[in-house]
Amino acid sequence: MIRFEEVTKVYNGGQQALNRVNFHLEAGEMAFLTGHSGAGKSTLLKLVAMMERPTSGQVYINGHNLNKITKKQIPFARRDIGMIFQNHRLLMDRSVFNNVAIPLIIEGYHLSDIKRRVAASLDKVGLLSKLNNMPHTLSGGELQRVGIARAIVNKPPLLLADEPTGNLDPALSLETMRVFEELNSVGVAVLIATHDLGLIARMKYHTFTLNQGQLIQDGLSSTDLQESEFEPVI
Amino acid sequence: MSLLFKQRKSPAASSNVPGHRVVMFFIRHLQQAFASIGELWRMPVASLLTMAVIGVSLALPVTLHLLLKNSEHLRGDWDNAAQISLFLKDNIDQKQAQKVVNRIKLYPQVNDVQYISSEQALGEFKSLSGFGEALEYLDTNPLPSLLLVTPTTQYSSPEGARDLLQKLQLQPEVAFGKLDITWLEKLTAIITLLEDGVSSLGALLLLSVILVLANTIRLAILNRREEIEVLKLVGATNDFIRRPFLYTGIWYGLIGGLIAWIIVSLILIWLEGAFVMLADQFGTEITLAGLDFAEFLILIALSSTLGWLGSYLSVMRHVYEIEPENQL
Repeated sequence: MIRFEEVTKVYNGGQQALNRVNFHLEAGEMAFLTGHSGAGKSTLLKLVAMMERPTSGQVYINGHNLNKITKKQIPFARRDIGMIFQNHRLLMDRSVFNNVAIPLIIEGYHLSDIKRRVAASLDKVGLLSKLNNMPHTLSGGELQRVGIARAIVNKPPLLLADEPTGNLDPALSLETMRVFEELNSVGVAVLIATHDLGLIARMKYHTFTLNQGQLIQDGLSSTDLQESEFEPVI
Repeated sequence: MSLLFKQRKSPAASSNVPGHRVVMFFIRHLQQAFASIGELWRMPVASLLTMAVIGVSLALPVTLHLLLKNSEHLRGDWDNAAQISLFLKDNIDQKQAQKVVNRIKLYPQVNDVQYISSEQALGEFKSLSGFGEALEYLDTNPLPSLLLVTPTTQYSSPEGARDLLQKLQLQPEVAFGKLDITWLEKLTAIITLLEDGVSSLGALLLLSVILVLANTIRLAILNRREEIEVLKLVGATNDFIRRPFLYTGIWYGLIGGLIAWIIVSLILIWLEGAFVMLADQFGTEITLAGLDFAEFLILIALSSTLGWLGSYLSVMRHVYEIEPENQL
């Protein structure tokens, strides 16, 4: 689904964010991406979302080399990727319905289709009853779930989540993770960037660990990860 | 259109009714056009202020245009007053003069010829000048005989009359001719100058309309930076994002144009009385002409186009500039 080949990203000013990273997220796989802040998690996700371009190396999604996607094609490529953000990035002056409907409006769906799909998507995150609420009437956990509903409303085959539980308490975090697991069970590939190690430990999924721009661990999460506190294992 | 996953269907592609996409394209444009009216309605005072600025900026050149249009009317009337005076040589007697009159009357460019003999001229001068007694002492009549030639309307323009004058002066009996059109030429020159002035002033004001709109739309774009970033993140094209701003610009221009029309109509009502008085002074009966329907349509089309252009300039610069960053 996502494949990185020798990807290096150096920002203007010489800051090296990623250094020759190789990894592969299988189709339909759910995985964690972890590491200290500044380890390059965000940069990695930005490269997948085409918000940044690699300095060298190749990023593939479903076998398509993203380097060959032109600037004009980026919007269309992004429609295949659902994105979830730490601060949910909802539009506070629009109702829950209008927030979730945005990707469908962009793609030009009929209003009847939009109503049906938004309802289905909100139902999946358990917020169908809040359809007509304004975002400021919702709790942090609910806002995050509305964000998830928006990301999955057009059924993308790939979900990216950046610290989706960053602002949530443990119970809400687990609940959010259950939503991801559910989506994953119907074949959606999910890549979650997080430094919530407790959460990772409880869920046995493929974990990619970044440290100072290098991928240092590529395997199933284990409890010794917590003890090693991201010290390089090599 | 799905780029990375060929098996995914997008709603437009899944429609198998031919023409459906085109219909949907227009429906979506209409939706966005009306949505942008709603956007303006949400801040009625600010929107109305911008429209008023556009209206006032447009009202000035439109008023000047009307002023010129009406002065053209006046000039049209005065043009017909062009008259050529032909002074005959001293040795031409009445009989010879009559021959000349008949000859000139045959000219296709000539409408009428009036003969004033030197005696008639003297009599007229005596009665009008107030030198009656003094003139009695003259031994001979110093005044020449005169032919007053009225050209046809086609030849009564300054250029046409001048051509005719040159031809008439070639008559052997004619000493010299005089065309009293210098004032007409002066008026024409003044009007030409005014026209040029109005054109350049108009161009400046149109430019200011574009700039006002570009700035208004720039602020609107920056106000909605957050929204634009989110739209870009979920796959909106630049075309999609800029469309509501372009429609907003068109609405600003269109309503600004209507305001300009209202202002000009009010000015016309205000000026009508004064104008009629002025026309009376010149012995002409003219009413003040307003904008006709075609001109009204041109005004609205022009103001809408300016609105679109102003917002286009802004959109090209700012919508493309805003990219989601630091947030994923």
